[in-house]
Amino acid sequence: MSAHAPAAPKTRTAPPRPPSGFPLGFYRYRNYVLFAATSVFMALGCFALLEAVYALSRGEAAWNAWLAAMAKPHFLVLSTVILLFTLYFAFRFGWVGRKIGAGRIGPVPRPPLPMLVLGVAPLGGFVTLWLILLAVLAGVLR
Amino acid sequence: MELRKVKFEVLRFRPEQDDEPVFQTYEIECMEDWVVLDALNAIKDDVDPTLSHRWSCRMGVCGSCGMLVNGRPVLTCAAFVRNYSGTIRVEPLSNFPIVRDLVVELDSFVAKIKSVKPWIIRKIEKDVAEGEYRQSPEQLDEFKQFSMCINCALCYAACPVLANEPDFVGPAAIALAHRYNLDSRDEGNAERFEVLDSHDGVYACSYANECSQVCPKHVDPGGAIQQAKLNDFLQWAHLLPKRSFT
Repeated sequence: MSAHAPAAPKTRTAPPRPPSGFPLGFYRYRNYVLFAATSVFMALGCFALLEAVYALSRGEAAWNAWLAAMAKPHFLVLSTVILLFTLYFAFRFGWVGRKIGAGRIGPVPRPPLPMLVLGVAPLGGFVTLWLILLAVLAGVLR
Repeated sequence: MELRKVKFEVLRFRPEQDDEPVFQTYEIECMEDWVVLDALNAIKDDVDPTLSHRWSCRMGVCGSCGMLVNGRPVLTCAAFVRNYSGTIRVEPLSNFPIVRDLVVELDSFVAKIKSVKPWIIRKIEKDVAEGEYRQSPEQLDEFKQFSMCINCALCYAACPVLANEPDFVGPAAIALAHRYNLDSRDEGNAERFEVLDSHDGVYACSYANECSQVCPKHVDPGGAIQQAKLNDFLQWAHLLPKRSFT
């Protein structure tokens, strides 16, 4: 065929079909959706935290008002949900870290040290930093 | 050898007559040692010659016969009929446009594979007279697992990210990029960085890990993507050298 021959018209195709059980019919896809949803709740948590810091900066009365508002039942429920999603996010993050750390995931057993060090150390540090930050915040906001 | 009557629900799409894919049922007698691919070939040979499907080696090497069997992406040459009970549902790979019946369009898959430059990139090619590029068993071990991919695209069919973001580079391509980045002979990780670090690159994956579950060669593309994320981050932070000479 000549290089300048017109391209043959493309055959009509049927659109791609989603994987079977997507998005909520299969546990791995449910986990994927749940993991994506953590972003919404963690954003809400961050917003609440910023509001707390803002209230703290405006003096004791504002801080107490914020505490009183947060003690209402619907905020307590929301805080619990945010906490659960944050814990789920941390669990998933750690799970992925385990994958990064293990250089050999398939049949070859030897984990190469550089991947282990580069993978586990920063993630361990990240989680430790978060725990320290949470402890400091808990101490400040207590 | 014992024969068993098995019912197959096969998704059909004939662009000249079907507006959308529809299921068609076939009932055939299967031998004890048949795989789903044997059954599809029997249907095509003896029942309905218009049925279209891809296959070649029949031994899990070529990666051509990937389809959904009862909703799960498998190589049909490795899926024994005796391991399924009741009606067996056969569909084309998900996340790909359907050309005809069980045949999907792999253009986007091939383009994504090509985009990560899955070949050894060197600053200066050695002269043939100087001999081969030497590599120790330890250096080979670094990437060997990720080089086992047969491009069957089962991981793409299983990926929930691709269902949401069709432009995601995808598991096989990223695993392949990671394979070459880990290769001691390669000097082209900066070229691949452009693709892996893009919006549709490694960070689009949130690790559902279904790609690794369906991989018939235990490549573990899900693991490769997570390692590629770390490599990408280290390159971005200039903690890993970007080797680019092209």
